[in-house]
Amino acid sequence: MAAVSMEKLTKVYANGVRALDALDLEVGDGEFVVLVGPSGCGKTTALRMVAGLETITAGTLRFGGRVVNDVSPRHRDVAMVFQNYALYPHLSVRQNMGFALENKKVGRAEAERRIRSAAGILGLTGLLGRKPTQLSGGQRQRVAMGRAIVREPSVFCMDEPLSNLDAKLRVQMRGEVLRVHRSIGAATLYVTHDQTEAMTMGDRVAVLRAGRLQQYGTPRELYGTPANLFVASFIGSPAMNLYEAALEGSGEGTAVVLGSQRLTLPAAVLAGRPGLAGYRDRKVIAGIRPEDLAMPDGTAAVAEAGRGARPGGTGPGGTGPGRTGPGESRAGTTGARNAAGAAGGAEPVAYLRAVVRLIEPLGSEQLVHFAIDAPQVREDAGLRAGDQVAEGEIMAAQAANGVARLGAHTPVRPGETATFAVDATRLHFFDPDAGTAIT
Amino acid sequence: MSTSALAPPPETPSPPATSRRERRRRKRLEEQASTIPIELYGLRRGTVTAATVCCVLFALFTLVPIYWIVVNSTKTQANLFETFGFWFARPFVFFHNLSLLTQNVGGYGTYLQWLGNTALYAVLGGGGATALAAFAGYGFARFRFRGSRALFYLVIAALLVPITAITIPLYLTYAKAHLINSIWGMILPSLVSPVGVYLMRTYVEVSVPRELIDAARIDGAGEARIFFRVALPLMVPGVMTVLLLSVVLVWNNYFLPLVIFSKNNLYPLTVGIGLWAQRAQGSGNAQLFPMVVIGGLVTIVPLIILFLVLQRYWRGGLLLGSIAN
Repeated sequence: MAAVSMEKLTKVYANGVRALDALDLEVGDGEFVVLVGPSGCGKTTALRMVAGLETITAGTLRFGGRVVNDVSPRHRDVAMVFQNYALYPHLSVRQNMGFALENKKVGRAEAERRIRSAAGILGLTGLLGRKPTQLSGGQRQRVAMGRAIVREPSVFCMDEPLSNLDAKLRVQMRGEVLRVHRSIGAATLYVTHDQTEAMTMGDRVAVLRAGRLQQYGTPRELYGTPANLFVASFIGSPAMNLYEAALEGSGEGTAVVLGSQRLTLPAAVLAGRPGLAGYRDRKVIAGIRPEDLAMPDGTAAVAEAGRGARPGGTGPGGTGPGRTGPGESRAGTTGARNAAGAAGGAEPVAYLRAVVRLIEPLGSEQLVHFAIDAPQVREDAGLRAGDQVAEGEIMAAQAANGVARLGAHTPVRPGETATFAVDATRLHFFDPDAGTAIT
Repeated sequence: MSTSALAPPPETPSPPATSRRERRRRKRLEEQASTIPIELYGLRRGTVTAATVCCVLFALFTLVPIYWIVVNSTKTQANLFETFGFWFARPFVFFHNLSLLTQNVGGYGTYLQWLGNTALYAVLGGGGATALAAFAGYGFARFRFRGSRALFYLVIAALLVPITAITIPLYLTYAKAHLINSIWGMILPSLVSPVGVYLMRTYVEVSVPRELIDAARIDGAGEARIFFRVALPLMVPGVMTVLLLSVVLVWNNYFLPLVIFSKNNLYPLTVGIGLWAQRAQGSGNAQLFPMVVIGGLVTIVPLIILFLVLQRYWRGGLLLGSIAN
């Protein structure tokens, strides 16, 4: 039985705004599920509905099989950590954590035991007598978590608890939150707007946009097989490079046309995406992640494509503890594969020529901004494929319309024409009208 | 033994525990840091001096009656009329005048009885008004219900009605309800304080964050518990302000008790001293003028004490640390 089960959960406000539209989601026992999306996508609304702080317009919400639509929050056995902590300012840390236990008439001895145990897990033992005014931001955040933990609830709700911390502390606290989750083991629903947090923390991640669920799966699935343009450009940093393209040819000779370049698609790619067959000689949107563009070493033979292109890399997660970002292992694999690289043939590598416009050295890697003459598709700007390419677009094409992530020591210079090796199996294709992935 | 043997990572240390004086000093420095010194306003020379002089003059003008009453409470009736009003004169009969207050001079009523009445009305009426305003302000500010806006405007609209306009209807209604010459005739109308409701609503909106109430709901507290244990401690400065205002209003109320009471022993101080003032001009034998003066002085003393006592509640900063900023 799922710890939390949302069935067609909908929220429509009095002024007609549809904050959440028929959300179907399940959180298993002990699972850490992240709701992620841009502002206004309905993730906080969904969380508040689970916690009981918003009424449910339509749909069914179940906790462990029990329908809780009309159950007040105090009877739902759910604990919440707020974005702004919401600590009781006139109570000490101990009293803050004990408040809920008082309400539930838990005995003094038991309450004290739970408070001590939670304080121990969170490192708050020395601070129990202080008031929230006398604590730093990170400490307050931990008290907010402690307040949730002592209740030993069946569901934890967390509403962007780390967004008020400075960057470095945030990264440290990500690990803390996961550590606490592992030792407590209750189902957790975590809301964030930061896709890095979502990818590094979630067992499963739900991407929402404008009240609708876009995709729900493991971080690996979201990264590797995004269901639509929005998920593809939302997950992964820097965002996936998306271009208007067309498929040409048939059978063995299928190629994707990006501007003036043709990238041959080997049979493996077509076999893996049977849906592509329906798009022969039609427009598609092609996407390639910055991590999947490699630089052949020097002007060496095709066979040695990609060797030494990348160090062990830092996935999309930056310096965080917790799980490895899915991009990392991928980079390792691609590099290894290309280096092991046989003389062409079996390797589905295509080449893309681009003009390097700008290089951002990050120390551990370089972000190389380049331009190709294919029209860029920008999901966040709301441009849909199929829009007429206006004069402005042609001008924009003079500047950079793509990013590649290369090793720190790869020799590139702005103004040069670079040739990127593209692993064709890593290309993503989307329907230009619906935006859905072509599988 | 918990599985998490790792200590949490070191981070910015928390501010050290400090004494109240330390915190006040630090707060003053903070305030100084967030305000602009007057030298930088870009004002013409002499503007500040001129403005200060005007303010001082206005303050003097406001304080003159207080000064007068302090000085003249030490004089005999004869001296009240014959000597310079703004300075003392011999004999200095302050304590004698005070003792007059305890007597029932000329059968016109005892000061102490009136003082007791006023205190009763102020505590019950003013205190009750504050409580109701606190409940109402919290309700308007933090609950969504149909007609809340209309109801609030109705409350404010009550301010538009002058008391003199409703005197006759008030009297007739209260007479029917047997509230004339009853303390409840004085207390019940005093419980209605539109200004108090408005102030409390505004204060609650600012000082009690919605999230705190959400957190308390999730923590399993019932609404009453939330109000008394979570919201009220945060509303204290607002409540104290409304308390002071309500008490002062009831204490100084002259018109309502004049309408309601005809029995001498129920009068509050305002009506009682007013009665003395009337009689003083009439009958020549009773030495009522000094009593009016000293009576007036003693009347304002409790209010000043109340003000001084409640001052410490007007300290801000209760919310620091509750909400991340």
